[in-house]
Amino acid sequence: MTDPALVSLVVFGAMILLLALGVWVAVSLTAVGFIALFFFSAAPTGSLLASTVWDASWNWVLTALPLFIWMGEILFRTRLSSDMFHGLVPWLQRLPGGLFHVNIVGCGVMAAVAGSSAVTCATVGRMSIPELQKRGYNEQLSIGTLAGSGTLGLLIPPSIMLIVYGVIAQQSISRLFIAGLLPGLMLIGLFMAYVAIRTKLNPALAPVETVRFTLSEKLDRARLLIPVLLLIAFVIGSIYGGYATPTEAATMGVIGALILAAVGGSLTFASFQESLMAALKTSCMITFILAGAAFLSIAMGFTGVPRVIAGYVEAWNLSPYELLAVLTVVYIILGCFLDGVSMMVLTASVVLPMVDKAGIDLLWFGIFTVIVVEMAQITPPVGFNLFVLQSMSGRDILQVTRAAMPFFFLMLLGLVIITAAPWLVHAPVQLMLAR
Amino acid sequence: MTLRRTLDGLYLFSGWLGAAFLAGIALAIIAQVVGRFLGFTIDSTETAGFCMAASTFLGLAYTFKQGGHIRVTLMIRHLPPNLRRSVELFCLAFTAAGLAYFTYWAADLVYFSYVIDEISPGLMAIPFWIPRSGMLLGLMIMTTAVVDEFFSVLRGALPNYEANAESVFEPIDEIGR
Repeated sequence: MTDPALVSLVVFGAMILLLALGVWVAVSLTAVGFIALFFFSAAPTGSLLASTVWDASWNWVLTALPLFIWMGEILFRTRLSSDMFHGLVPWLQRLPGGLFHVNIVGCGVMAAVAGSSAVTCATVGRMSIPELQKRGYNEQLSIGTLAGSGTLGLLIPPSIMLIVYGVIAQQSISRLFIAGLLPGLMLIGLFMAYVAIRTKLNPALAPVETVRFTLSEKLDRARLLIPVLLLIAFVIGSIYGGYATPTEAATMGVIGALILAAVGGSLTFASFQESLMAALKTSCMITFILAGAAFLSIAMGFTGVPRVIAGYVEAWNLSPYELLAVLTVVYIILGCFLDGVSMMVLTASVVLPMVDKAGIDLLWFGIFTVIVVEMAQITPPVGFNLFVLQSMSGRDILQVTRAAMPFFFLMLLGLVIITAAPWLVHAPVQLMLAR
Repeated sequence: MTLRRTLDGLYLFSGWLGAAFLAGIALAIIAQVVGRFLGFTIDSTETAGFCMAASTFLGLAYTFKQGGHIRVTLMIRHLPPNLRRSVELFCLAFTAAGLAYFTYWAADLVYFSYVIDEISPGLMAIPFWIPRSGMLLGLMIMTTAVVDEFFSVLRGALPNYEANAESVFEPIDEIGR
């Protein structure tokens, strides 16, 4: 066996080089796996590559992923996005901070549907940025709320990111979905409380809304919003109640989305085809990365690198809290260069055994990781939400980043809260299991 | 020009097949649920998994052409055009070589499972070479697409995955249909 320290050096060097040169992430992962196996082990590289990738690609657990993506793509092509703003205004305008809350809650709902934070951010922002500006809301806070709450899509179920984590960490997707519920709502609560406090302290940030709506007006304006909320509740509820596996729930979600689109009159052959092709593109990208990662982690196992690194970390004698703090910093730095899926998948083979050994629950760690990935979405230079808002608001990246910063720290606060009170993650899962 | 059209048609057709298999996952699940209601057992765990694999691999080339696969362009974005082109050519050549190697071994896997008549463990007992052929076919088409792209960049064209890549902002213009 070759010296694992040398292997680590070669493996990490190759990874950084390939990624920096712009080789596709999935290809880079597979190629590094190849290097590790071919040069540093006696295993039959080629046949191991084919069989590992094959096994990873027909994983039953993974089948929920394309379906949830498809459901989002169908709903995205309905009038939902344009109804979102008008539907939410009457319900939220009386809160302190007024329409800023439409940004937050709108992103929360869109998040449950779309599962991608850039799309969430763009969809809600397109309506609300000009509208809020016209009504005299503070622009910086408006951009900040969008940047922050746009990331909720990663956590609020059905979340693509949690499926990806579940597959690589071999955790139950159902449990992850349920575990993500309270922390997701908690983040929405934190954002709303922050906006309320800011506007109380400085009333100039938001004008007072004076228009009143009757109940029937409120319901009429929320025409598409309510069925979509019911659909999401139904999908999550069937998982929660143990009536359906995530894949079955996702199938019902697709059927429900198709019905809503048909009733709303936006279901045409062209839009059906578009939604399916768009879903294929996203799902293909993610599963290709996952397949490459499966091969990489097998290869790493052969070389013994994860054990050596875990040994180093163990020698530092970190407490679980210190380990989490270190990982948070590492993820935030990585997040400056990589997108969420790549980041999670890249670190999995080294980080997960380490975390497991430190006695940290892997289900809880999934929620933790996703929140950190959310934070990474709004850190420059690669923060997808920042790019979106930059183009929509016409402000430069520095101004957008500054607007987003408070929300970065609110999410950090969220991390501290779930670390201090892990029951936020565990209690709903226990409740589900106890039934 | 006919070669160009044939190849583009091939990638698109393969993408459609991939999309059909994606919808096939949902159909398999529906069949299972309906079967449960009517009292007969349809085991869709494997069928859905096979559709999943077929969808992924057959969708590779289409996703590639559309710029769907993720890469880090943070560093190479700032290179001068000539150097940037060389780097793109390296990426494409590297990827093509890797895919060709993978395709060879995928063919080996299909051939091997055909020879020893390997059967899936589930109720359906499907010979493994059938779904694995989907992987092989998808990889062959993807390899073709990358080689194709290499030569078109070599001739001075802008890479398709750059030209077609929808920026994250594009969905904004699509709303309101």
